[in-house]
Amino acid sequence: MSEHTTSATTRPSTRKRYKRIAYGLLGAGILALWVGIAVDRFVLGVALYWTGGLGMGLVQRFSPVELYDERDTTIEREAGHYTMKLFAYVFIFGTPGGLVLEESGLVTLPGEFYGAMWTLFAVFVAYGAFVIYHKYRL
Amino acid sequence: MRNDIPDRRDETDESQADLAAAVEVTRQTINAIERERYDPSLELAFALADHFDCRIEDIFDPDE
Repeated sequence: MSEHTTSATTRPSTRKRYKRIAYGLLGAGILALWVGIAVDRFVLGVALYWTGGLGMGLVQRFSPVELYDERDTTIEREAGHYTMKLFAYVFIFGTPGGLVLEESGLVTLPGEFYGAMWTLFAVFVAYGAFVIYHKYRL
Repeated sequence: MRNDIPDRRDETDESQADLAAAVEVTRQTINAIERERYDPSLELAFALADHFDCRIEDIFDPDE
C-alpha cells in the first residue's frame, strides 16, 4: 500500500470521469444536431449542439481537476505544428500549381478551390498575428 | 531523458497512477517519462524531485 495519499480531486478516476462528462456533452450535442437535421428541426438541433459544446467548455473550465496536463499540451502543440506544416505545403504548392494548370487550359478550377486557398491564406494571416503577439509577450 | 523513476517508485511502493496523482499529471505522462519518450517541464521535474525528496539531477541524467 502506498504511503502517499491522494485527494479525490487529483485521482485519475476523477479526471477520467470529468473528461467523459465533457466529451459526452459534446457527443450528445452532435447527436442532437443530426437528429434535428433528420426530423427537420434544424434550429433546435443547432441550439442543442451549441448547448452541448458550451457544456463541454464549462466542464473543462470549472471541473475540480485539471483535465489536461503538460504532456497533453505538448501533444496539441506538436499536432498543431504538423497541421500548419501540411497546410503550408498545400498552400505553397497548391495555389500556384492550380493556377498554372487552369491557365494552361488543362483543368477548370471549381470555385471551391479558390475558397479553400483563401481560407488557408486567412489561416496563415491569423497564425502570423498570433506569432507576432506571442513574440512580444515571451 | 534517462531517469530512475521506476526504481524510486519501487522503493516507495507506488504505482504510476499513485505518482501521477501526487504530482498532478496523468498516468500516461509518468509512463512516457519513464520510457524516455517525454521530457518533463521544469515545473514537473521540481515536483518529482520534491516528491522523492531529492534533487532533479538525482532523478534525471541528461548525459546518457
